[in-house]
Amino acid sequence: MQWAIATAAFLASAVEFVEAFTIVLVVGVTINWRSSLLGAFAAAATLAVIVATLGVALVKWVPINDFRLAVGIILILFGLKWLKKAILRYSGLKALHDEEAIFEERMAEIRARGETIAPRFQPFGVVLSYKAVLLEGLEVAFIVITFGSSISKTASASGILSAAIGATVAGLLVIGAGAIIQAPLTRVPENTLKFIVGTMLTSFGTFWAAEGFGFAWPLSDAFIPILIAIYLLASYALVSWLKQYKRRQLAMTSASNASITTPAQEEVHP
Amino acid sequence: MKVIKAIYNFFVGDMTILIGVIITMLVLALISYVGALAPLRVATGAILVVAVLVVLTASLYREIRG
Repeated sequence: MQWAIATAAFLASAVEFVEAFTIVLVVGVTINWRSSLLGAFAAAATLAVIVATLGVALVKWVPINDFRLAVGIILILFGLKWLKKAILRYSGLKALHDEEAIFEERMAEIRARGETIAPRFQPFGVVLSYKAVLLEGLEVAFIVITFGSSISKTASASGILSAAIGATVAGLLVIGAGAIIQAPLTRVPENTLKFIVGTMLTSFGTFWAAEGFGFAWPLSDAFIPILIAIYLLASYALVSWLKQYKRRQLAMTSASNASITTPAQEEVHP
Repeated sequence: MKVIKAIYNFFVGDMTILIGVIITMLVLALISYVGALAPLRVATGAILVVAVLVVLTASLYREIRG
């Protein structure tokens, strides 16, 4: 069992499962659970086929260094996307991801379409649930395949297994928690998860991309925690910089508002 | 076109990040394969880390300015 791989896959998958679960829940509550679950299971089956074919093909036929480079680039792109969103949210420049608000918004959209709870299958519900689970699940599949098979050719099977275990545990936890509380998982600190996962994906991506170019990191795999620490510190500095920027912007706005209102007030009260 | 946009949004969804990472990889490929740049190969890791941080900062800067 490769714990670093399993943990990274667990955290990354948990974020995606929360998002997919929110949509499945909305469809289940507003349309019906049959359509919602059919869509979710069909998407899970599609994903299983994709992972089984793509995973095996990639591991068998692509040279490990080229594969590491490609995986590294993909992980850096994914990681930077997530890290950027998380940093903007932490600094207050972007609204925090609110699963409850998304849940209410989707409910309103579906009600506006005139969909009501009916026991029989509703194609719209099946498609909506299928699309959500497939799209979010594809990200999980990518993470499982890339994380799992980037270690080495010989250890790739155990790597994929470790990543798959991490993702499965995340899925079971999210579905279990959601089933118990029967509500969107608003208590899952999604932004914190995205921040951690963004940092981890960027760190692993940096590590593998450089290895893909034939670079040997000092301390070998033990350098990954150092990379994580570098990116965490840099992200913290960026959050502080953006918070200061936001404060300056607010101060400038209030100052310009004050300068606009003062002459008018003087005219009224000379 | 829709498919390309969907793939772009799936992987990155940010032009600054995409272009920044592509340029970084091209520079690293040059360092890796051009003999004259061989002395820089020992700094591949450091160059990549700095480039990733520059790309992230540039993307955030573009976001708050635009």
